[in-house]
Amino acid sequence: MRNRLEALCRDGIAAVAEAQNADALQEVEVHLLGRNGALTAQLKGLGKLSAEERPAAGKLANEVKQALQKALEDRRAAIDKAELEEDLAGNGIDPTLPGSPMPVGGVHPVMAVARELEDLFSSMGYVVWDGPEIETEAHNFDDLNIPGDHPARESHDTIWMEDTPEDGRLCLRTHTSPVQVRALQKFGAPLRVVAPGRVFRQEAQDATHEHTFHQMEGLVVDKGIGVPHMLHAMNSMLEGIFGRKLETRLRPGFFPFVEPGFELDARCPFCKSGCKVCKGSTWIELMPGGLVHPNVLRAAGVDPEVYSGFAFGLGLSRMAMLRYGIHDIRWMMSGDLRFLEQFPA
Amino acid sequence: MKISLNWVGDYVDISDLSADKVAELLSLHTAEVEGVETFGESIQDVVVGHVVQCGQHPGADKLSLTLVEYGGEEPVPVVCGAPNVREGLKIAFAPVGSKLPGNLKIKKAKLRGEVSRGMICSERELEMSDEHNGILELPEDAPIGERLIDCLGMVDSVLELDNKSLTHRPDLWGHYGFARELSVILDRPLKPLDLEVAWPTNAGDWKLKLSDAEGCPQYGAVEIDLGGTPGLAPAWMRNRLQAVEQRPVSDIVDITNYVLLEIGQPTHAFDADTLRGRAIEVRAAQDGERFTTLDGVERTLDQNDLVIADGECSVALAGVMGGLVTEVTDSTTKILLESAVFHPTRIRRTAQRLALRSEASTRFEKSLDPAYTEQATARFTKLLLDMRSDAKVLSAPQVEGDSNAPHVVVQLDPARTSQLLGIEMDRAAMTGILQRLGFGVEDQGQELAVTVPSWRATKDVSMAIDLVEEVGRIYGYNRIQAAPLDAPVTVPVQQPLRLLGHQLVQRLVNSHGAFETQSYSFLDNAWANRLGLTRKDFVCIGNPVQAEVELMRRDPIPSLLEQAVGNLRENPVGRLCELAKGYEPVDGALEPQERRWLAVVEWTGKDTPREGQESLFARLRGVSQDLMRSLNLLDNLKVTPVSAEDSLPAWAHPVQSLNYHVGETFLGWSGRVHPQLQAELEFERADVGILLLDLQALAQVAEQAEAKFTAPSKFPGIKVDIALALPQAVAYDDVVGAIRKSGGKFLDTLELFDVYTGPGLEDGQRSLAFRSLLRSPERTLSDKEERKFLQKMEQVAVELGGNLRS
Repeated sequence: MRNRLEALCRDGIAAVAEAQNADALQEVEVHLLGRNGALTAQLKGLGKLSAEERPAAGKLANEVKQALQKALEDRRAAIDKAELEEDLAGNGIDPTLPGSPMPVGGVHPVMAVARELEDLFSSMGYVVWDGPEIETEAHNFDDLNIPGDHPARESHDTIWMEDTPEDGRLCLRTHTSPVQVRALQKFGAPLRVVAPGRVFRQEAQDATHEHTFHQMEGLVVDKGIGVPHMLHAMNSMLEGIFGRKLETRLRPGFFPFVEPGFELDARCPFCKSGCKVCKGSTWIELMPGGLVHPNVLRAAGVDPEVYSGFAFGLGLSRMAMLRYGIHDIRWMMSGDLRFLEQFPA
Repeated sequence: MKISLNWVGDYVDISDLSADKVAELLSLHTAEVEGVETFGESIQDVVVGHVVQCGQHPGADKLSLTLVEYGGEEPVPVVCGAPNVREGLKIAFAPVGSKLPGNLKIKKAKLRGEVSRGMICSERELEMSDEHNGILELPEDAPIGERLIDCLGMVDSVLELDNKSLTHRPDLWGHYGFARELSVILDRPLKPLDLEVAWPTNAGDWKLKLSDAEGCPQYGAVEIDLGGTPGLAPAWMRNRLQAVEQRPVSDIVDITNYVLLEIGQPTHAFDADTLRGRAIEVRAAQDGERFTTLDGVERTLDQNDLVIADGECSVALAGVMGGLVTEVTDSTTKILLESAVFHPTRIRRTAQRLALRSEASTRFEKSLDPAYTEQATARFTKLLLDMRSDAKVLSAPQVEGDSNAPHVVVQLDPARTSQLLGIEMDRAAMTGILQRLGFGVEDQGQELAVTVPSWRATKDVSMAIDLVEEVGRIYGYNRIQAAPLDAPVTVPVQQPLRLLGHQLVQRLVNSHGAFETQSYSFLDNAWANRLGLTRKDFVCIGNPVQAEVELMRRDPIPSLLEQAVGNLRENPVGRLCELAKGYEPVDGALEPQERRWLAVVEWTGKDTPREGQESLFARLRGVSQDLMRSLNLLDNLKVTPVSAEDSLPAWAHPVQSLNYHVGETFLGWSGRVHPQLQAELEFERADVGILLLDLQALAQVAEQAEAKFTAPSKFPGIKVDIALALPQAVAYDDVVGAIRKSGGKFLDTLELFDVYTGPGLEDGQRSLAFRSLLRSPERTLSDKEERKFLQKMEQVAVELGGNLRS
């Protein structure tokens, strides 16, 4: 018995020392100390011993058990330490391997700009509204104080629908400005509204001309509205697009639906002393705007003696081009993934 | 339009200002200046030379060998081929190293064996005129070595104005208008036009007749004997014209151009001897009438065009261009000068229809001040008489008809003006600005009564707000300070469709790797056929941007398919989505209906399998269901395979397509593209699928679909995996239906985790393996419930013609 226990102890400690990892050690432990293990088998033999032999054998068995347990513990600690060290050493992983593939998508750059601006203006209490893309001549032109014989109405500028009566002609809206009147007719004054959307012109396509592009209209009508309010709204818009305040200046511009009409220039955001974008002038023309023409207010059922307002128009396509450095507008409607992929959402 | 600052300087003193400063002033106060050029730059190297010796070239009859002195250095030998070169002549000399127009660089050369160190220039070589019969002869007192452009007074700065920013300002189509603007901006005196002519007292005998009073309400004419044939205009005038890119022709034509560019009023000089019957009639053209304009092109007119006729036939296309037969030529000795008022729109239409926009038509279409006609006649005559001492006006100017700018008086409230502009300005300052601009101002206490000058009254200024603009722009818009709105902010109204669209696109982009695109609203006519539709199913365009692309799309699928085709070569796999409108004609209504769609197109090249094994069809169903889940619609969503009685768009596969409903509301389709269409679009190398959702319908059902919380059961559930081996013809939907029906009240979730055919199954069988969860909210379930559930499943399997696999 004694010999067997000593042998068990010796062999057991050797086996523990040989275990190379936690799983092997676990196996050794079960083999030695488990319910059906070697030591248990020996302990079962204790009962067969005489009463004199039993205490010494029992004591020895206990010592063997403790010795084995200690060996197991030490070995386990050593293995844990080794594993930790190995883990800390990097497990042989190449940290420069690429990440796992995830779904990759993107938002269209014009829509990205549009949605940012919608959020910006919503936060300032503007309604975001839209009108039809196939628009009546009345809304697209007449209501906007554009004279009946204005060249913009002619077919080299405007895309007209086929077979419509002379007094109810339909066109593809040439600007988002008809929403000025539509929104005022719906909500009345006072009103703050922005209207992003698709517009159409009869244009031959080249790097800077498209027949389909996007604009955003802004309109505020209230009592006591003046040019300073317009300037503030336009500046806010630019701050939203370019992420910082830009120095701006107003100068005269002519559009039939505003009076006075303006062009807003901003200090070129891309240079300090003249570049290609600003054609060396350090100013770039960004946005037309003006005080809403009394005739437009009247067309919308608003009394111009009581209310005044301002409106501005922003070329969303152009802004996206400026912001992302897109030099050819034809990319916008191309659906080409080589273009779209460059604008992660 | 180009504006010469020398010319403007005749009427307002701007000598102390740089061209850039003038450009900035005009941009900030009047109209956009697009560029500043320096006239004469292209010949700035050319200097005054003196021919000190001139002899025959030993090797060529027609060449002369000269010695030219041009300041500083020794005289140099120059070979010259001009017949008028002679000793003692002052000439324009381009020395070696200088540049001439057309990027010509003068180098030392050997001509027939003789060295030539420079070039003696003709006017054509200097781009001063077409004259090339000889070299330019300079005055005897021209200082040798001086720059030619200084010697000839050709140094000028030219501003390029954006014509679009002048469309509403008929007064700004001549230099005088800009002089007036600058005089107001700078608050400096404006010199009047010199219109002093001693008219003869005898009346003219031309019979003037206005047969189309709308087209031409006033016509003026004066006959002048030139005292010889047309010659060359003086250098100062030619320089001015050239500076603004008007080619000099002859003194007579040049003066008409000069007056046009100075006042803005077009005039026309007829060769009086070619006009028959001493009669002029302004009338509508006859339909089909043929007429040759002075550019030599024969044009076909219609009754909307306006012509000038003499006693026999048309001699000019009114307001657009003169006629070939009656134009001033080298042999003309008498002219009839026309200065008239023409209807702006009529002129524009004619010019546009004939693609003949001239300097004259561009101005007439702006509604010119009728008073310009008289000024132009006087100015022309004054300039002509100054330039040609033998010329003689034959009678007093004749005028038929009477056209005047409307007399416009506008009431202006100075307080409201200041408020609208957001500036502090007293009424005296306001009055000052308006008066300098030519407005008459009468202070009536509260308001100002403002009389509009004729040159602003034709269409530009008619109401108070127009005067607010005048005051503001002269004060300087760039001095206005921004101010936020001071009205209270309320929660803005939302457009639910817009928000829904954004939400779904963002989901597609973020979770499903879709790229949002924008595609054209137009379709090629061929699409009508492809979609099994006719033109009347579409809203059609009358003047399409591209021939044959006349249909407005009903939904974005066709345009997205075209974009997918375009991508296939570079990207064999992709997913595009678009939020866009479709346009549908509505029976009996004038205005079409516009419907917002969310469309997805996905393609997979046949030889590039996408990650994972599931089919395009299944993927798109998965995408749709995820979108519905994001709107909390999944529990009520009905996905049904299309059936023969469904009216399916022709782009959809007749079997591999699904309908989506919530309740009775139809939401859209997903599925594969019809293989025939796929082949027609040259999509053979890829599988293409679509998903199309009607945002209107979605918004309607999504409105009521708010998420609602249910507390999870406190008791653990039992997971039971079951596999049913069933005939393949039994649809998954039916299997799930049967399991749900028999599964008992404890059956909670049921997930398909494997579909298997092959060894271990009978032929024609497939196995559907589900993970089910049995759970009660009230207690822990026991083995008994699990056994009962398995028995039920066994029954289900048998009823469906198969068995439960163990």
